[in-house]
Amino acid sequence: MTHLVLVTAGTGTPSSSRLLGERLAQASVAALDSLRPGTTVTHLELRTLAVDLAQHSATRVPSDALQAAMTAMLSADGVIAVTPVYNGSYTGVFKLFFDALDTELMRGRPVLLGATGGTARHSFVIDHALVPLFFYLKAPVAPVGVYAATEDWGDTGRLDQRIQAAAAAFATLVSASSPSKVSAEFQAPNFEDLLRG
Amino acid sequence: MQLGIFSVGDITPDPTTGRTPSEHERILAAVTIAKKAEEIGLDVFATGEHHNPPFHPSSPTTLLGFIAAQTSRIILSTATTLITTNDPVKIAEDYSVLQHLAEGRVDLMMGRGNTGPVYPWFGRDIRDGIPLAIENYALLRRLWREDVVNWEGKFRSPLQGFTLAPRPLDGVPPFVWHGSIRSPEIAEQAAYYGDGFFHNNIFWNLSHTRRMVNLYRQRFEHHGHGPADTAIVGLGGQFFMRRNSQDAINEFRPYFDVAPVYGYGPSLEEFAEQTPLTVGSPQQVLERTLSFTGEVGHYQRQLFLLDHAGLPLKTVLEQLDLLGEILPDLRAGFAEGRPAHVPAAPTHASLLAARPSGPASERPVVLDDVTGRSPESVPA
Repeated sequence: MTHLVLVTAGTGTPSSSRLLGERLAQASVAALDSLRPGTTVTHLELRTLAVDLAQHSATRVPSDALQAAMTAMLSADGVIAVTPVYNGSYTGVFKLFFDALDTELMRGRPVLLGATGGTARHSFVIDHALVPLFFYLKAPVAPVGVYAATEDWGDTGRLDQRIQAAAAAFATLVSASSPSKVSAEFQAPNFEDLLRG
Repeated sequence: MQLGIFSVGDITPDPTTGRTPSEHERILAAVTIAKKAEEIGLDVFATGEHHNPPFHPSSPTTLLGFIAAQTSRIILSTATTLITTNDPVKIAEDYSVLQHLAEGRVDLMMGRGNTGPVYPWFGRDIRDGIPLAIENYALLRRLWREDVVNWEGKFRSPLQGFTLAPRPLDGVPPFVWHGSIRSPEIAEQAAYYGDGFFHNNIFWNLSHTRRMVNLYRQRFEHHGHGPADTAIVGLGGQFFMRRNSQDAINEFRPYFDVAPVYGYGPSLEEFAEQTPLTVGSPQQVLERTLSFTGEVGHYQRQLFLLDHAGLPLKTVLEQLDLLGEILPDLRAGFAEGRPAHVPAAPTHASLLAARPSGPASERPVVLDDVTGRSPESVPA
């Protein structure tokens, strides 16, 4: 049983980030099912958590909905993260979400990155903005990410090829990984080890 | 069950008047509040420790010593004592003296402190927070328990032939709680030594508090101190009450909305739902507080945060009057269904009674270096 979490940070309804995210999720499920059947996907639409995330950043108190999202992330074998490009980078709510997670939560948890924007000029946003964030979080990043500009939605063939290639690479990474699903917060360390320093 | 209050010692403007009390006013207010706490029948007064504005309690034993002189029954404690940046030798000395002056009415709660710059101001590094808490406390325990300490560690200069003066009152070290919101290492530390574990229970929902407490309870049993339900647990909590619950909400809201730490965040209603904060009538505070037992099991100490966020002294004293009114019901409620084997929080008297009563020669003999006599040989 493989569990994927799709995180999308678009603000429109429907948003192109959501559209891209769902395509990436479908393709990833198909690719994973060919390796080990039984993949489920939980979709976190960050727009619905925007106020909770702002409050959490002020108080560190997670709302029930945000806590549920964090719990879903902890149970993920892989994460598909898709954001629109605002001012050359990921959106504020996208950063707030990954800032809200426990520092170690993304460690060792495979990530497939996607981004959407109005023009092809933002194509390198995955490389210059998203990859550094997930490297910092110590998440293994799937070697193929997908950027979709508005014009790509009228050019389905090639976008689909890139989605398939990204999903295949991500599936290989997920099936080879076993990220921790236990919160470090409630694990008792060995005190004798702590005493030894 | 011990019931009491704990104070951060913040100096915050009253948002309804814009007036900021002086440090002098706030320090004296802490004394007034502690005396009032004893007067209404509370068991514990605990002060925070901070080394930066806008807080005043940088010297907790000075404050607690002054309060000890003006009270006779209430236990004086801390919330928390910074085990990371204080020298454990100085903690041992200061609290030994306080213990003698207060006739044993003293315990401590250890905490790490989360203000980054305080660490370098005291020659430490916040990244060493956990190792400092582990090493310093291990030394503190020895200082209180062993006559002559030879010690070497990673952080402090070594000790050769060090004897703490004064020895703890009656040779009984103060009971220690370890406070932590989310560090399993600290729950483990409390469990390892069979010390108390305190969860501040203010900023998080009760299910989080429950999981931390359960971790401590399981490890307490694992380390052989007794069944999990006999572990020594303390909780924080906060309320604001008026006889009419809508009055409580209306009066507290301007303080809540801009309060340090959680102000500018969720609404009062959302925060009251998500965390143990109760704003309402005395009956609502009573019921909410008694519900904590359902989450964490029967526990030993409940401390409330009342004096904070710019609330005027007069208001805080009124809150204490109202708390005094529901105190008998709180005590009755906590006693209800409490199994006989669940212990009370240790006190100086109970620890003294439980001390191994071997022959006197087995206990360290302390000689007064002026009279050359042991305290045991001096007629009272």
